[in-house]
Amino acid sequence: MAGPFAILSALARSVWRDLRTFSSISGNNIALFVVIVMYQQPQSVAFFLMILGVLLLGPLSGDPLRKVPPDRLALWPLSMRQRVGLRLGSLALSPVVWFAVPFFIWTGGAAFGLLLIGAALLIQVAVGIWSHRRPGRPGARLAVRLPELPGRWGGLIQKNLRQMLTVLDCYAALALALGGTLYRVFGARPDPDAFLILALVVVIAVSTYGQCLFGLDLPWGIARYRVLPLRGYEILLAKDVAFLLVAAVLVAPLALLPGLAGALVALAVGHHASVLQPQRQARWRFAGGALWPSGFFQVFPLVAIGVATGRASTWYLGLALAAYLVSLWYYGREWDKGT
Amino acid sequence: MQFGELVAVNQASFEIPSGRICAMLGPNGAGKSTLMKMLTGLLAPLSGEAFVAGLDVHRMPLEVRRVVGILPESLGLFDMLTVEEHLRLCGPIYGLTPAETRRRADQLLDALGLEEGRHTPAGQCSHGMRKKTALALALLHNPRVLFLDEPFEGIDPVTAQTIGELLLMTAKHGVTIFLTSHILSIVDRLADWIIVLRNGHIVWQRPASELEGSLEDLYFDLVEPVRVPDLPWLGPSQS
Repeated sequence: MAGPFAILSALARSVWRDLRTFSSISGNNIALFVVIVMYQQPQSVAFFLMILGVLLLGPLSGDPLRKVPPDRLALWPLSMRQRVGLRLGSLALSPVVWFAVPFFIWTGGAAFGLLLIGAALLIQVAVGIWSHRRPGRPGARLAVRLPELPGRWGGLIQKNLRQMLTVLDCYAALALALGGTLYRVFGARPDPDAFLILALVVVIAVSTYGQCLFGLDLPWGIARYRVLPLRGYEILLAKDVAFLLVAAVLVAPLALLPGLAGALVALAVGHHASVLQPQRQARWRFAGGALWPSGFFQVFPLVAIGVATGRASTWYLGLALAAYLVSLWYYGREWDKGT
Repeated sequence: MQFGELVAVNQASFEIPSGRICAMLGPNGAGKSTLMKMLTGLLAPLSGEAFVAGLDVHRMPLEVRRVVGILPESLGLFDMLTVEEHLRLCGPIYGLTPAETRRRADQLLDALGLEEGRHTPAGQCSHGMRKKTALALALLHNPRVLFLDEPFEGIDPVTAQTIGELLLMTAKHGVTIFLTSHILSIVDRLADWIIVLRNGHIVWQRPASELEGSLEDLYFDLVEPVRVPDLPWLGPSQS
């Protein structure tokens, strides 16, 4: 069994490296928000932790054995017994099993936990047979289909939208927005002030992406931007339009104008890190930014301007727009200098 | 151009007539890619000037990028976009209508043998397909000058032949082509103007027709002779 053990130990290293990519959440503004809620209102934090937990479990639930290229796996001289051993052993490397099994044993008893392990084994075997019958590259295309957008920048905006929809931040924001909308529609006597706060929480959830707008383009996509006949502000604007579209759709049922004001501020601040300190990001992970200084200077002004727009005057939206336009002009020039 | 203490390209001066295929040769680190980047406005030289299609590269970088097609060394593809989506994204940026973009994209995909893989995301394409996609992007807007950084490296002979024929056909339409390569046999077949670069200096530049011996001999004479030291641990020689 030396062969399967060697493969399993390589898989374990790969799973561990994969797990480390989830550490990006520690630099996400939603983490800052959760810490604040934990301190201010500990009884509410479970809801946010549950959303984050569910979203993290999604990408973690993949078959660990799929990390081995199918062609390579087929080439290894392993007997049928060894292959079955490998398949069962790989199950122990699934992070979902580490979390789910103790949880279910704790809540539903050992019998229930064992039943789940049996079900998971069956699923793994089914996946194994399926991948054997349909060989192909692992991680087949998980792209979000979007309609073609018109205009010179239409293709760029569409691409940026698709990229943005592959970070978990959007889905955390979607869960929050859905929760808020359900509360608004079905709540017995919903508190009108809550919608403003919920809209801003939604914007906080996507705001980190505003710090790493080029993170999914790195490294090769940047070379393409450099050869296109576009000015820096145009490239940034195509990124920002995608961000604002997502933010607008999510906050529309809650508080559109304060949400947009917050999103504009998040972009105005985020341009600095996006253009001058671009960080590579991974798909189907939370965006990893920097809580200090970018996250701090995004979250507090966006909340302040959002609350001012919602409670004092919509003129504050104009202020947010002005700040955004100055940032777009300045960092567009910085982008151009980078050529 | 200087990187710290290293002068990457120094006193490079040349002029390429339009409609020619110019190949720039030189060993790794000679400054070919740096020179290419300076000519396409991606790097600013410390001194001197460069004109491409009559446009000052330093003063009008955007105008230059509109009239040139570039195949960067890194290819510059977005992993999550398919081959076809790349073309459809770039066409309108160069002012092509969606219909015209589609028409040209279909023709380019056909000419480069990318028809079957048009819906494959760039991240899942072979190196040859990625190279051909980047070449299609460089040609899409009918540029006046093509800059190709290592277009023949890492691809199979059929793909190399396809690209070569396409470049010859493009040059016949009056497009000037400036390419770098290490594959002397292909350069010998395609290029009608040759520049050899060594340590950031141009050591030879002439029409290919003025070559007296073979390109290979010229290259090894000018750049460095082949030297293979003996490796005694391989055991005694059999011959």
